Amino acid sequence: MYELLGEAVANIVQLKYLVPLFLGTLAGVIGGALPGVTITMTIIVVLPFTFGLDPLQGLAAMTGVYVGGSAGGLVTAVLLGIPGTPSAIATTFDGHPMAKKGEPGRALWLGIWASFFGGLLGAIFLIGATGPLASIALEFGPWEFFSLFVLALSMVAGLVEASLLKGLIAGALGLIVTVLGADPVMGQERLTLGIPFIKGGIDFLPVLIGVFAFAQVMGEIERPGSEVAKSLGYAKSLAVSHAKVVWEILSRPFQLLWVAFIGLLIGVLPAIGGSAASMMAYDQAKKFSRRPERFGSGIPEGIIASEASNNANVGGSLVTIMAFGIPGDAVTAVMLGALTIHGIQSGPLFISQHPKIAYGIFAAYLLAHPLMVLILAVGARWMLRIVSVPKAALFPIVLVLCVVGAYALNNTMGNVYVLLAFGVLGYLMVKFGFPLAPFILGVILGDQIEINLVRSIMTDANLWLFVTRPISGLLLAASVVSLVAAMWQHRRTQKKIDAAVEADF
Amino acid sequence: MKLSRDGWAGLAVLAASLVLFALTLGLKPSPLVPIGPGFYPRLVLGLAAVLAAALVILDFLKTKKPEPLPRVNYAAVVLHFAVFAAYVVALPWVGFRIATVVYIAAANALLEPPKNARGWLRVALLALIAGAVVYFAFEHYLTVLLPRGRWTDF
Amino acid sequence: MKKLIAGLVAAVLPLAATAAYPDRPVKLIVPWAAGGDTDNIFRPFAPLLQKHLGGTVVIANIGGASGTKGAKEAKDSPADGYTLYAVHDYIHSTYWTGVADVNYTDFEPICMLSSTASVLTASPKTPWHSLKDLIADAKKRPGQITVGATLGSTSHFFPALIEKTAGVKFKYVSYEGLAPRMNAILGGHVDLTDSNLTQKGKVEAGQLKFLGIATEKRNPEMKDVPTLKEQGINVVYDVNRGLMAPKGTPAAILGKLESSCQAAAKEPEFAKAMKLQGTDVRYMERKQYVSWLKKNDRLNQDLAKDLGLLKR
Repeated sequence: MYELLGEAVANIVQLKYLVPLFLGTLAGVIGGALPGVTITMTIIVVLPFTFGLDPLQGLAAMTGVYVGGSAGGLVTAVLLGIPGTPSAIATTFDGHPMAKKGEPGRALWLGIWASFFGGLLGAIFLIGATGPLASIALEFGPWEFFSLFVLALSMVAGLVEASLLKGLIAGALGLIVTVLGADPVMGQERLTLGIPFIKGGIDFLPVLIGVFAFAQVMGEIERPGSEVAKSLGYAKSLAVSHAKVVWEILSRPFQLLWVAFIGLLIGVLPAIGGSAASMMAYDQAKKFSRRPERFGSGIPEGIIASEASNNANVGGSLVTIMAFGIPGDAVTAVMLGALTIHGIQSGPLFISQHPKIAYGIFAAYLLAHPLMVLILAVGARWMLRIVSVPKAALFPIVLVLCVVGAYALNNTMGNVYVLLAFGVLGYLMVKFGFPLAPFILGVILGDQIEINLVRSIMTDANLWLFVTRPISGLLLAASVVSLVAAMWQHRRTQKKIDAAVEADF
Repeated sequence: MKLSRDGWAGLAVLAASLVLFALTLGLKPSPLVPIGPGFYPRLVLGLAAVLAAALVILDFLKTKKPEPLPRVNYAAVVLHFAVFAAYVVALPWVGFRIATVVYIAAANALLEPPKNARGWLRVALLALIAGAVVYFAFEHYLTVLLPRGRWTDF
Repeated sequence: MKKLIAGLVAAVLPLAATAAYPDRPVKLIVPWAAGGDTDNIFRPFAPLLQKHLGGTVVIANIGGASGTKGAKEAKDSPADGYTLYAVHDYIHSTYWTGVADVNYTDFEPICMLSSTASVLTASPKTPWHSLKDLIADAKKRPGQITVGATLGSTSHFFPALIEKTAGVKFKYVSYEGLAPRMNAILGGHVDLTDSNLTQKGKVEAGQLKFLGIATEKRNPEMKDVPTLKEQGINVVYDVNRGLMAPKGTPAAILGKLESSCQAAAKEPEFAKAMKLQGTDVRYMERKQYVSWLKKNDRLNQDLAKDLGLLKR
């Protein structure tokens, strides 16, 4: 198996494959870094260019976009606090505070190297563990998926600083967004509130872009005084000691392995995606940390957890399309399309029938990581241009790009109106102290939760199955434990704060 | 006893959930699915209502006074939302190119008011260059279609 | 004044649009998720259509609500030739079963492209080795054998036909599109589903069982799959796919699309791609397609009535 991989690597370093891989990675980094441009959008744009190439060339380019995009999303997440792609949401929690504290270079490179190591760990683990992981994911019926999504939501709601209750309400609000418009099973209109463009339901991407972009931009505009007119005021240099940053990551081997594992696992399960992976990994890193209260203030663990897991997640999603022919998310769905354009049937026999292409994708995935680091190393100076632009010029342009991104999803104005409406809601939520992450996760998972609930009831009317099926029961128990743990942890920090306040007197 | 922002937010969520909940009662069951399209929304809305009620009650029982919030410039925020909303509304009518250039100019001028002719030149240049670059990048290189104006056909 | 200008512009606009069609990318709506069978058929078709149309064709997957979300989206798009719609027989069945109000009459048919035979497929976790085993078991446990289907669509009609012919009763679970159905059936979360020969790789790997193909004769690509007919269940069923545009698309544009579609469908490359999808190329020009649709619509209405699914 590893000999096959060696051959594939030797094959892919030929110029014929290296050039599309490099260009794809470059496009991914740029697309991922532009706020309002998602990896999905980038890969759709790259797709037509691959039609004329041979299958492996095309797939190498797309693998590059995927890897580069996952890393590129962290640039805006760190420097602007706006996730360039959904999977970089958790990176904003610590990456942006660290950059604001005057260490943008350290924050950026922690993210890049964490992506690198996360991706490599993911790849190595993945090539060996494809078979067993695939059979676990297959055991997941609608009950298990329902319980898994509930677990994901309760974990993210528990990650909240201020109040567990507000985290849960934010998650519920996200779920409410998905019940507006149309029911996902039969498409029957419901709760449309008489608004024509939500008849078919609300897409999560404009909601995501709106909530994050406006919460960020308006949060800066609201500060009294003329601060906005100045540039972001970061240290002008992103220079940093790479050895030190790499050591910062590698000195936490257990954390790195654990978050990469989470990313991989979530990637293998269809339809969850990188954003849930990075948020769950972030939550895990916090739970296992000796200083959970400092998460969110700009500490390296937070950045490492998010970035290492979302790049490992890419590997997991790749295995799901290669082994099952089931796309893990929108990006792998497009890659699946590319496979079929070239007449390749993905499925359980894919790896044995097309070893050259299967291992070629693995090899491209491995090589895309050093390329990504190289591109960011050379391009980081230009990346800084994005943030050294005065905010007064940057904000309108970012919002215009958000409008373009929302519009281009379906070429309809409806999504732009959704963007505006959720921009206002997102800003209000921040003002009232509600966390955004559970809200967004609720919007992403809502339809899947409902579909799996309906499916399980249609398969068997017995509701006890959610508890009595072992995996499902375990997942539900884990979500209860996660909530209790969050309450306990919250109480403990609250006591500490109270004690500190009294000590002051 | 007065409510803090938590209490007001809880009341808003509670009210919205209850209104939507009432609306789900009118939904007809679907012919092919054993549970109707209203089942899951009622579950979610019910959950939201209970959580929001709990937030209101906890806020009511809280004895500690909330810390005063930092003073912020809400007028600027409202103004920018208004300008952006105007941009979004104008887009399908005057087209992407015109609306975007005007929007960037307006937003930039509001964020950093020009003090002299050079300042206005900066605003105009930024709006024209940024608008043109975005338009050409997407429409010509990325085959992303941007809205044409219904009034202007541009 | 403004109104006058707007009026003038509106009057000139369609003329200008026809002259240079296509002068910007054409969006082809596939109303199912990427990686499903409709997607697999239109993905290789899009670049060929693009070649003959002389403008970029971009596929947009708009799944949901038994494929009717994409249909509604296509129906509500401007009739300027820049939105096309990849349709199959579900448009009739979802209309008559009351899933959605969209019908084929809301569109201008352009051409028919392909026909894919349905194959009754069972999970590897089921004990049956043939259709006979299944029917015997189904008679013993009425309403307990689960079928994954896109409700109201072809994957619902096909098992329902077998149900009726064999005099058994199944239980239907909503799994929209072929890709999620395959996941469910590989994991044994449903017992049966409708699929087609594209899944033969999974059969060879022992992950699926083909119980019978709904054709008159066995398929030369997979000779060991018996037909339903030879196993005593007289059901012949296939899914036909074609291209449509929103109602009111100008005739000149439809003509251009029809000729491009014909040229694309005749490409040997398309035939090769369809063979990989277990699908026959079945080209029909616009006129022929229109009358075929009319006939097929009545057929589906009768079918829905027979199966007790008629909701209109």
